[in-house]
Amino acid sequence: MADATPNQLFELWRKQVEESTQAWTRLVSQRAPTVGPPDPTAFWRPVLDQGFETWAKLFAQTPATPELLPQWKQFLDQWIEAWSKVLGQAMGTEQFAKLLGQSLDQFLATHGPLRRAAEQQTEQALQALQLPSRSQVTAVAKMIVELEERIERLEDRIDAALRRLDGKEPK
Amino acid sequence: MDWQEELGKNFQRLRNLHGLVTGPEPTVGQTPREEVYKKNKSRLYRYASPRRQATPLLFVPNLGISRPYIFDLLPGGSFIEHMTREGFDFYLLDWGVFGPEDNDLTVEDCVTKILPRMAAKVLESSGAPELSVLGYCMGAPISASFIATRPEIPVRSYVDMAGPIDFSKVGLFGLWLKKEYFNVDRFVDTLGTVPADLVRAGFKLIKPTMDLSTSLNLWWNLWNDQYVEGFQALNRWANEYVAFPGEFFRQWVRDFYQENKLYRGELVMGGRPVRLENIACPVFVVGAKEDYIAPPACVRALVDVVGSKEKEYVELPGGHISLIAGRGAARHCWPKVSGWLALH
Repeated sequence: MADATPNQLFELWRKQVEESTQAWTRLVSQRAPTVGPPDPTAFWRPVLDQGFETWAKLFAQTPATPELLPQWKQFLDQWIEAWSKVLGQAMGTEQFAKLLGQSLDQFLATHGPLRRAAEQQTEQALQALQLPSRSQVTAVAKMIVELEERIERLEDRIDAALRRLDGKEPK
Repeated sequence: MDWQEELGKNFQRLRNLHGLVTGPEPTVGQTPREEVYKKNKSRLYRYASPRRQATPLLFVPNLGISRPYIFDLLPGGSFIEHMTREGFDFYLLDWGVFGPEDNDLTVEDCVTKILPRMAAKVLESSGAPELSVLGYCMGAPISASFIATRPEIPVRSYVDMAGPIDFSKVGLFGLWLKKEYFNVDRFVDTLGTVPADLVRAGFKLIKPTMDLSTSLNLWWNLWNDQYVEGFQALNRWANEYVAFPGEFFRQWVRDFYQENKLYRGELVMGGRPVRLENIACPVFVVGAKEDYIAPPACVRALVDVVGSKEKEYVELPGGHISLIAGRGAARHCWPKVSGWLALH
């Protein structure tokens, strides 16, 4: 019974992972009926099986040693890496790119009008308070940037003229 | 290892966790520097060296996304410190943090207005007849475009570190930003500036398990003071995202990601065609084996298209960031780059 408990826990965990993966696979399948979704079980199953076996062996040893901890860390690393590969594969499909684009479009469709309305209201409020609005401050900053650009062009011309005067550059 | 040792480690973990939560943030960017030039938000910094190498180095990092102090993170773990110790006068172009007033800035402006001026200032400040250029990440296609269109600038050698060139091989970002899925015009017209939060979301999405593995590794190494110091500095950088100017993002996505104009030789900047075959100086290209932002294939493409007689590609262990920052970079990458530059 002593080593049956961790075994049961792992069995339960394995079942949970399997169920959530199947649910995820179903979800992807619904969204992408024409192209088959990636098979995540191909990645997590060997990792989980290996981890399960290692842990079953370790728990069978008595007494338990701190050597269990590096094993546990290694198992978690492998588990994360396996999921990283699964997710990478899923996100590397045209279906995912399409879904992402659609989500972004939806975000822009709601965000755009909201943002414009908020900006308008803020602008009106600041105007009523006789305070400069964000767009006015931005316009002033833009003017300064343009002014700096003009000064730099003038500096370049003066430098070029000075070089010509020094005879370093042909006229 | 016994339980007593493990218990000791756990006490150290608790102590360091307390320090992480309540302690001050580590000081980053400690290598001494002077500001040589500034243009709008951009700054050119000079990190002086014993000057054993005659040719100064202009370092061009990415614009937007993140801050450049990753290249000078901590003493003993700094690319800039390494390069100056090797005798290179190091000039860092810090593009800066742009605001809504900079939304009209384009990639073309960076190539035709900012970079020529920065290169001229490097030559003026160093008194050297020529300079070397190193482009990292997005800084590589930008600096390559600059060198390709300005043959009159005396560039002695060029290094591309993890910089995408052939955008048809650029991985997940290339797929997600495809014309048919991502409408860049609607995106920029609606948002104006591309906010830092959206930049963060994009980068988190490309590696969704990153935060989990970072947290796990932190817990595992939390007893190690040196690891914790490095983690704090890197974590600060990794959570400090920078917005993109709207027009820059539009041109970057459309011309580079969606139409691959740089690699195809269809890009025109400042009225001049950008032809990578016009790059004739020695070229060194460094790709990272596990780079999912700029996969090796899209970086390597540069050696196939430049007109240089001397060109070399190396693929090193690590990812996009660990290529240039961290212990692995100090061992695998930095000596290779400084060694190659010293010979060219």
